[in-house]
Amino acid sequence: MNTGLPLNQPKRRISVHHLSYLILILLLLLVPLFFKESNSSLIIISNIAIMAVFAMSYDLLLGYTGIISFGHVMFFGIGAYTVGIFMKKFDYTWLYLFEALITVVIITATLSLLLGALTLRLKAHFFAMLTLAVAELFAVIGNKWRSVTNGADGFSFRVPDIFRDRLIFAYVAIIFMILIFFALRQFTLSPVGRILQGIRENEERMEALGYHILSYKIISFIVAGFIAGLAGMMYGIGTRFVSVPSVLGVDLTLDALLITIVGGVGTLIGAILGAGIIEVVSQMLQSFAKTYPIFERWLLFFGLAYILIVLFFPYGIVGTMRMVWEKRRYRRRGSKS
Amino acid sequence: MELFITLTTNGLATGMLIFLLAAGLSLIFGLMSVLNFAHGGLFAWGAYVGTWVYMNTGSFLVGIVAGILTGMLLGLIMERLIIQPVYGNHIQQILITLGVMIVLGELIKAVFSANPQGAPAPSWLSGSFEAGNIIFVKYRLFIIITGFIVLILLQYVLTKTKLGLIVRAGVMNKEMIQALGVNIKKVFLFVFMLGAGLAGLSGVLLGPYANVITPGIGMEYQMLAFVVVVIGGMGSIIGTGLSAIIVGLANAYIAYQWPQISMAVNMLIMIAILIIRPQGLFGAKEAHSR
Amino acid sequence: MMNMLLKVEQIETYIGQYHILQGISLEANRGEVTVLLGRNGAGKTTTLRTIMGLSPARTGRILFDGREIQGLPTHLISRLGIGYVPEDQGIFGGLTVEENLRVAMQNEDEKSKERLEWILNLFPDLKVAWKRKGGNLSGGQKQMLAIARAYVNDNRLLLIDEPSKGLAPVMVEKLMESILAIKEHTGVILVEQNFLMASRIGNRFYLIDDGKTVQNGRMQELIENDELKRKYLGIA
Repeated sequence: MNTGLPLNQPKRRISVHHLSYLILILLLLLVPLFFKESNSSLIIISNIAIMAVFAMSYDLLLGYTGIISFGHVMFFGIGAYTVGIFMKKFDYTWLYLFEALITVVIITATLSLLLGALTLRLKAHFFAMLTLAVAELFAVIGNKWRSVTNGADGFSFRVPDIFRDRLIFAYVAIIFMILIFFALRQFTLSPVGRILQGIRENEERMEALGYHILSYKIISFIVAGFIAGLAGMMYGIGTRFVSVPSVLGVDLTLDALLITIVGGVGTLIGAILGAGIIEVVSQMLQSFAKTYPIFERWLLFFGLAYILIVLFFPYGIVGTMRMVWEKRRYRRRGSKS
Repeated sequence: MELFITLTTNGLATGMLIFLLAAGLSLIFGLMSVLNFAHGGLFAWGAYVGTWVYMNTGSFLVGIVAGILTGMLLGLIMERLIIQPVYGNHIQQILITLGVMIVLGELIKAVFSANPQGAPAPSWLSGSFEAGNIIFVKYRLFIIITGFIVLILLQYVLTKTKLGLIVRAGVMNKEMIQALGVNIKKVFLFVFMLGAGLAGLSGVLLGPYANVITPGIGMEYQMLAFVVVVIGGMGSIIGTGLSAIIVGLANAYIAYQWPQISMAVNMLIMIAILIIRPQGLFGAKEAHSR
Repeated sequence: MMNMLLKVEQIETYIGQYHILQGISLEANRGEVTVLLGRNGAGKTTTLRTIMGLSPARTGRILFDGREIQGLPTHLISRLGIGYVPEDQGIFGGLTVEENLRVAMQNEDEKSKERLEWILNLFPDLKVAWKRKGGNLSGGQKQMLAIARAYVNDNRLLLIDEPSKGLAPVMVEKLMESILAIKEHTGVILVEQNFLMASRIGNRFYLIDDGKTVQNGRMQELIENDELKRKYLGIA
């Protein structure tokens, strides 16, 4: 199915492009400094960065490979719970943090490999349905397995002291986001990444060309899975608390969906922009809720906005901008239609 | 023995409720290739409005009609405003129907309440009676009978009427039926509204069965309906009916013995069928992408 | 030109990004069989699909009995009086022969019943297979059923796509007879690879190459023109 999304092309005029990225990075790195007095703002900034990574991993599936998963939150939750358990049951040292990291990667990669291999051959609808059910199942298991997870109440834990400084953590989160962004960008520009985009555009044609679709989809699923796990880990380290609703709830999947759609499907930058917008808006709505109770149903507004965007603005902000830009480029060159 | 009867009637009743939901889903997916992630929302709204009308008019039958009409009205709006514009684009359609599901759920919380609501049975259907040495709960039998009547009616319409013929043909080959002069868009709308009405009916019926309704019932029952649609295959009313009964019974028996795992069992069955026999046990349409 | 049923003017059709039809123009008359010939992939099937509205044209006009039909939804085009027999016959496999015909009949009036009688007499095999499911029919029976379905309504034009494909010679004979019988009341546009069949029942021809109509004329002219046959049909 031709989504009409512009394929990620390597830009020709390298210096301008690299320069703009450099400027962007510098700007991003400056942001925490503006808010260093306000802990709550720094927390929001960290959350934006972490959600941006989560959304980028989601976009890899949705925007680049054309896979809809409604269960992505389970990888996030695994990341958060793993670090929580390691910090609590063992010790909150760097050694265990490192081991937690390895464990997260192993678990998420294995889980996504298994799940992917079993279910990615299904039609989109059934895969989506199944992932929704699996995520639901994870939440239920999380709730029941109190000995490990402490259920819906969750538990708090300690982390190496350096992360307790909000400013430092904000920087860690932003650098994390930047690193993942470039890593994913390289991935999408690589031959594997191109193939994934080809699968998104026209699966049958890719198959006819001899590519083993299932294997590539599984690769995408694994990469997305363990990056989501890393995001979850960062989230755990930042909040020092995990519970089923906070890291395994279905609204996190919705957050990722919303961020990806608003920012732009198939554009990694869109995830960063979308995360910023969604976090800020949801903070605003939640504070409005204190004065105007109607906003307690902020999910309702998000849902409505989401529907309108999917209907009228399906390529999101960055996506639409890119399309406008591409059209202008063709027109200037006087290309054929 | 008594336990067995109770579990069996429970299972059959649940099965019928799920059948009403799944029948709509099955027809809609079979004909339009649309998997409505908001189908459960129609169910929930049918439950809430139906119950509310019953409480305020005193007539359960009026409540049932209200539930059905609510489903159909919401179905009409959904089909025209949400489904038609994204028709053909599977990704958009899945994403958008999930959005609608969330909105419908939040609207229930906003319009009614987020807390569980009581949904009593009308006096002429409450209580139980004895036959032989076995006790039968009246309301459950009511659900089972209603479900069977609907099943028979649906099967009749589908196999003996021209409209049913058109729907069946459309499921097999959408393009050809248009080339034969059938306005497929009207048929889509009809089938969608029919499915939505059935969902609304199922919702109203759920109330007195579960005794309480919560905003989450939409998602809960939708999941079960999905499982049934997958197991039973699409486009077959009888197949959906049988699968719904199987799932209902399985859930009743398993939930009794090992309540924790019934949800997992549903999913494992679904996964197994999707892998081993993707067209379901009775169906005409595949769930595989190849 | 009161006989002119269909006039196609320079239609161009895209499927996805592929520019399949790059300029097709043709005319079809009542009482005639107009044959579309050309290599595989030239655009013959797409031409029929475009006329039928299944793959809408991006530019160009299509006039049926003087009325513009490009851009109309398929079911309206069908109801205006055009019947379609696709390459794969489009038989509803799960429905019986009877049901296939019944679902095709737009009106259940006297005229339609007469037409049904007539076409069943032309294809008595269908009466024998009346209760058999479409999926269980032989290739020849499917073809007969597909044509019967297209005929049973009061259609003034039939679009038939490669009906002889995969059929035994005896069936092809039968097919040709039936099309000749039908064309008396109805115009036919026939896509055929089988040149023998095309030349025997066709009155006019259009050669399609690379999505364009390149040559046309009376069938007799083509039969005598070896160069055209070699160039566009690969027939020595």
